[in-house]
Amino acid sequence: MKTPALELINVTKRIGNKEIIKGLQFTIDKGEVFGFIGPNGAGKTTTIRMIVGLMSLTEGDIRIHGKSIKTNYKEAVREIGAIVENPELYPYMTGWQNLKHFARMIPGITDERIKEIISLVKMEKAIHEKVKRYSLGMRQRLGIAQALLHNPSILILDEPTNGLDPAGIREIREYIRALAKEENVAIIISSHLLAEIEQMCDRIGIIKNGELITTQSVHDTEDEEQSEAEQIFLFDIKPAKKAQEILESEFDAEIDHKDGILTIKTSRKKVPEMVKTLVKHDMDIYQVATSKSTLEDKFFDLIGENIIE
Amino acid sequence: MSNFFKLIYNELFKIFVRKSTWFMFVALFIVILGMGFLEKGFGDDYTSENWRAELEQENKELQKDLEEDDMEDSPFYDFAMSTIEENNYRLEHDIMPLSTGGWSFMYLSTSFLGLVSLFTIVIAAGIVANEFSQGTIKLLLIRPIHRSIILLSKYIAVLIFGFITAVSLLLLSLGVGGILFGFEEHIPAVVIDNTEGLTHISVLKETIYQYSFYSINLIMITTFAFMISAVFRNNALSIGVALFLLFTGNTVVQFFSDKEWAKYLLFANTDLRPYFDGKPLFEGMTLSFSITILLVYYAVFVILAWGIFTRRDIA
Ligand SMILES: Nc1ncnc2c1ncn2[C@@H]1O[C@H](COP(=O)(O)OP(=O)(O)OP(=O)(O)O)[C@@H](O)[C@H]1O
Ligand SMILES: [Mg+2]
Repeated sequence: MKTPALELINVTKRIGNKEIIKGLQFTIDKGEVFGFIGPNGAGKTTTIRMIVGLMSLTEGDIRIHGKSIKTNYKEAVREIGAIVENPELYPYMTGWQNLKHFARMIPGITDERIKEIISLVKMEKAIHEKVKRYSLGMRQRLGIAQALLHNPSILILDEPTNGLDPAGIREIREYIRALAKEENVAIIISSHLLAEIEQMCDRIGIIKNGELITTQSVHDTEDEEQSEAEQIFLFDIKPAKKAQEILESEFDAEIDHKDGILTIKTSRKKVPEMVKTLVKHDMDIYQVATSKSTLEDKFFDLIGENIIE
Repeated sequence: MSNFFKLIYNELFKIFVRKSTWFMFVALFIVILGMGFLEKGFGDDYTSENWRAELEQENKELQKDLEEDDMEDSPFYDFAMSTIEENNYRLEHDIMPLSTGGWSFMYLSTSFLGLVSLFTIVIAAGIVANEFSQGTIKLLLIRPIHRSIILLSKYIAVLIFGFITAVSLLLLSLGVGGILFGFEEHIPAVVIDNTEGLTHISVLKETIYQYSFYSINLIMITTFAFMISAVFRNNALSIGVALFLLFTGNTVVQFFSDKEWAKYLLFANTDLRPYFDGKPLFEGMTLSFSITILLVYYAVFVILAWGIFTRRDIA
């Protein structure tokens, strides 16, 4: 049996008599990107603090490549690069001085490596400015840079998209996918926004009130293709009215018409047939899309209202 | 460079990259310079020709004052008596008194050792607390290094800073004195009073002694400030409590000097010099007693700082 990159075993945290984390249990494999989603106060940051050794565990264990964070701290934490909550760096030092500072704490990080990371996060221009003059997004980039310095095999990013502009988010997304695919790095990304990280994750874990409610794969494409499960599809067609009539007469589907777009609830399997039928009737099809909100809907169903306890 | 030295380098780098640190050294320089000009304006200026006559003159005047006032209880009486004694000793042994000159000025700088404590306390108070207030503690502690080692690197950096500051005081005063006054022909001597009566010692030796004995005081008070910083993570609290102790410590010892337990107070034991002059602060105190007390305090500070810092949750 191969050891997972990261393994949480019945992880529990009590502060005072409040149980903040309640028996968390999940594993992450090498090369997997795990999205850690939950509303404010769910316990994402607390879990991450325990994984990186900033907080002790009340019960349970965390193993990193099989090494316990409790009994083998140095070996375990060497594998990890992380940003925890806000990217807080030394404001009175330059970006470069900050990176050098953290590089000195781990043997074998060359200046070339530091420069490589700087160009990766596109911070060449501002790297010799003091961090106190950085924008939030620049700090976030520098935070990501310090997490990557030592080529960690597990990367933990607590809300890394916080403060990034759309281009920045896309860069991070691409880079995270590449890290997982090419270098087999296991990655945990926490966020409250599912939509923001859905596309970079292989799997999503949903946490609420310190409990892991569910984990679920994002790209089960093979399953989905044959799936009988109904989903919402959006058809952009002209003329829409006529298309609705045709589809209703030939298929057994719920169809709504709004602003020239048909919203059809059906199984994925049926979509190609519908398109063929519409083409036969000489309709102009501009776009067919799945409604993004499926996972998001599920997320809200699971979480319910966000009541902070 | 080994890993541990890199950690200390990091800590020193963070201290010296900040402007506020350099401001301390500028302040130190200004204070020394200020004293230099005061000394130039008002200091005694004995020359190798005139000093005997001047001392005799001074003795005569003091004698006259004493006879006129005839107040054996007044504090002036003790001062006058010891001055006369010292002057006589100098005349007998042909030792010129301290005058305006580089060496004498360096010796005067020992009165500013309190500034070294002040600055080192400020650094010790901030070195852990600031990491918490900036939030950088999280990134600092997720490295493959045990917390106790990181704390040790910080502690050593504080001690090095204290050492650098003390040496700066010494060299700056020597430099300022040398430039303002030039150096005396012979290294002058101070007259001190120990169990065998009056004796004399060169200012160079005496200065080194004073700095060395003071370092015990410095280490204890900065270790205390460091401990408060590590335990309470609060810069201002740490500076406040440590400075309060620094300024009131000796007074508190004086105040309770009639109590049996006063000899167990930290500041009753930080000055080991009296043992070497044969004059302990309290009856029955010995050098080994004081060293034991110091070690107990030190151990308590270290155990508190390390015990709490290495165990606490970083939230
Ligand atoms: N030091 C602490 N003492 C007591 N309770 C705490 C402490 N730290 C966190 N908590 C509680 O633990 C819960 C989880 O907090 P945590 O910061 O892990 O949430 P989060 O999922 O990261 O939320 P967010 O999305 O807002 O960042 C919260 O209810 C919080 O009140
Ligand atoms: Mg959080």
